Amino acid sequence: MPSFTTQLPDLQATGPLVEMHVGLANEAVEALKKNGTAIPNPVSATALIDTGATASVIHPDIVKQLGLKPVGVANVCTASADNVKCLQYAVLLMFANGVGGPVIALEAPLKGQQIQCLIGRDVLSHAVMIYNGYMKQFTLSF
Amino acid sequence: MSGPLDKELATYSTKLANLLATSEGKFVIIHDDDVLGTFDTQMDAIAMGYRELGNVAFLVKQVTKTETPLNFVSNVLGI
Repeated sequence: MPSFTTQLPDLQATGPLVEMHVGLANEAVEALKKNGTAIPNPVSATALIDTGATASVIHPDIVKQLGLKPVGVANVCTASADNVKCLQYAVLLMFANGVGGPVIALEAPLKGQQIQCLIGRDVLSHAVMIYNGYMKQFTLSF
Repeated sequence: MSGPLDKELATYSTKLANLLATSEGKFVIIHDDDVLGTFDTQMDAIAMGYRELGNVAFLVKQVTKTETPLNFVSNVLGI
């Protein structure tokens, strides 16, 4: 089972943060190749693993850097917002150790946050996550 | 905001009654005014969109009577 463990001295303050890359979905790569268009390199991002998030989220800068085109729209509710429409994009999320896979991620501002990505329960539905507060570490296994 | 897919959302609304009668629960793919097909999974519909249309905006949506929002417990999204 591919997996990675991260230890963060301030895990309680920051939450489970992970460095990762966001790239184009394979289907988009094929479409660009067919067109003879250059494929943008994956973008590095700091992501927060968020068990309170139904789906994964990416920052608008990632959308812009990858030249992503939307494939859907979802209604989103948060603690302070109701039924806000957010665009959806097909992307490839890549963690350490070559672990990763395709997701349909929402675009949201992530204002005032030091992260560019949220890892939601769409990704966690394929994983086992162990959060060890005593050791200030967490493990994600796929 | 959903500017890039406004036309597709309008097409979905217009065709919803028909889609519910024929394809409830399936994933429809729409580009401009055209319904291009329905699929059992979201990724199948998206794959078809990239294959047939290329890297452009298109709408893949599950055909349902009511839409369940995606919930986020925190305010991290900034929306």
